[in-house]
Amino acid sequence: MKKLILFVVVFCAIHRSSSAEDKSLTVYAYVNGLVCDFCARALEMTIGKKDAVKAINVNLKDKVITINFKDNQRLEDSVISQLINDAGYTVREITDEKK
Amino acid sequence: MKFTIFTILFTFFCFNITKARPVSYPGGLTLMLMNSGMKNSLHTHYSSTAKTSLGYKIEYWRGDEFTLNMIQMNNLIKRWNKPESQANFYLKSAIGAALSDKADFESKKNFAGFIGISTDWENQRYFIQYSNRYTKAFEIKDFYTQFIHLGIAPYIGEYGDIHTWFMIKIDHTPEFDRNIVITPHLRFFKNVHLVEVGADTKGKIMFNYVFRY
Repeated sequence: MKKLILFVVVFCAIHRSSSAEDKSLTVYAYVNGLVCDFCARALEMTIGKKDAVKAINVNLKDKVITINFKDNQRLEDSVISQLINDAGYTVREITDEKK
Repeated sequence: MKFTIFTILFTFFCFNITKARPVSYPGGLTLMLMNSGMKNSLHTHYSSTAKTSLGYKIEYWRGDEFTLNMIQMNNLIKRWNKPESQANFYLKSAIGAALSDKADFESKKNFAGFIGISTDWENQRYFIQYSNRYTKAFEIKDFYTQFIHLGIAPYIGEYGDIHTWFMIKIDHTPEFDRNIVITPHLRFFKNVHLVEVGADTKGKIMFNYVFRY
């Protein structure tokens, strides 16, 4: 019985520890020149094709792209900026928190 | 003379290849179908990078009954990205062949090409565009054409909504009998689809469709 309790405690501790390490990150990129659906589509396609990206949402009103990354993955801000520049737009700011 | 002009157009075309600037996003495919009282055209292009687009264009000019089959290149020379707006300056050029349907020419074929510029400014409420081009098809037709395109959106939508624009396009082609054509129209824009529907002041229908993937 003691062994069973010990096993359960250890299992829960390991599982909790690994769950705590799994973090999916969200980044917000504020973009200049974002004025129409074609612009939104360009950014969606250019950034969305990266393996680390789980989902992307483009908000035309606030001119912000919300990028959700897969667990324990992300793109450096410099890479995000480059991708946005490659799509023909410029980055105003990249933050981890929405304004 | 014909060879010299063709060489100039070809050189200009090649120059564009090396001086490419953004047009669409890398890997973007675009299909543009344009129909009006002046012409019918189909233009499809591919952007291998965000710097330039290369594609095929076929145009049928109704008044003078000739067809242009061309390889067209568009280059974005300069883009101004602002927090609430975007402005662009494009260079466009094409080379190919012209074929006349007119009885006078008996299906005559010629080298053809054009060069021109296009500039626009837009935000989510207003749109303004000016574009011109000089087309050279030698004995078949040489002509200069330009237009201004204005638009206003009655409401501002979010990505994926149907965006509606009230627009007017004014074409000026000095070489044509009807040298000014005014076309009020509506633009509907949703996601990867753009449709323009209207009629000019003589009742000729305009129908344009653009698809970008």
